[in-house]
Amino acid sequence: MIEPTNITWIITIFGTVIFLLLLIAQLVILIKPHSQQAKDILIAKGEDWRDKTHFKVAFAFAWADWLVIMPLMVAGNIGVLSGQLWGYLLWIILGTISIYYSIVFYVMEKEYVYPAVGPIIYYTYLWGGFLYWGIISIVYCVLRTHNVL
Amino acid sequence: MSILNNKMKAHPIGIWMALGALVLILLAWLMQTYSLLDWEGAVKLGVQNESFSGNAVERAIADVERGVAIADIIWVLPLTVVAFIGLLRTKFTGFVAANMVFAICVYFPLFYAFRVSMNFDVKLAAIFLWAIPSLLGIIGLWTNRNIFKYR
Repeated sequence: MIEPTNITWIITIFGTVIFLLLLIAQLVILIKPHSQQAKDILIAKGEDWRDKTHFKVAFAFAWADWLVIMPLMVAGNIGVLSGQLWGYLLWIILGTISIYYSIVFYVMEKEYVYPAVGPIIYYTYLWGGFLYWGIISIVYCVLRTHNVL
Repeated sequence: MSILNNKMKAHPIGIWMALGALVLILLAWLMQTYSLLDWEGAVKLGVQNESFSGNAVERAIADVERGVAIADIIWVLPLTVVAFIGLLRTKFTGFVAANMVFAICVYFPLFYAFRVSMNFDVKLAAIFLWAIPSLLGIIGLWTNRNIFKYR
């Protein structure tokens, strides 16, 4: 049993906020794929998909995230907050995926998204939050399970 | 006791399943390394789908694929090596690292599977070479989780 601390709660809330915002945005594209609402949230207000492929990539990410990220986040949070070792393992796995797609998105977004939103939004919420959560959660899980924190 | 706990030489069958999955995954990283060195050559070989010499759409998708290849090489390849060595030495680090690698190898084939424009052969390869072996690897590891030395 690994008792949750204040740091555990901070990381839980931080992760839940960024992933929930992402998942809610993606739910719109899954429910109403071609709606203007989906485009407003996932591209920018009043914008349209660049082409069919752009839409299909976003749609595929939405499915993958709902099938993998959502269960990992919910189960991981429950496990960690109830002090179970498997919860920490799930957080490490979610952190790994989070870092992974942060790298993928950094490469694919630097031409279009980054110039459109600017460094502050990009490196805080839009892209940075997922990378920071991934790194923080993995480091925290390793230290916590080894009784360093 | 599950069949996956039965020992076959040095390790239980479940661990061999995980090691087998990691070997398949390492082959994928070899292909990704080749792609980063010679992207257009990899497209001709069928290892990658989209070319940087195509139209704007193809170039944008090639950017996604290049992003995946870079993430595979700088993040997942080192994890795969740690997982392989850790599993052979039955260290808990290997158990964790292998699960990290398998999670990514389930996540990305799912993305490919739902991407309607993706070449069907690439989807099948991603599912049969990465996703299914990774799922079996996770099952094999979880069944044998008690043999890993935590410290």
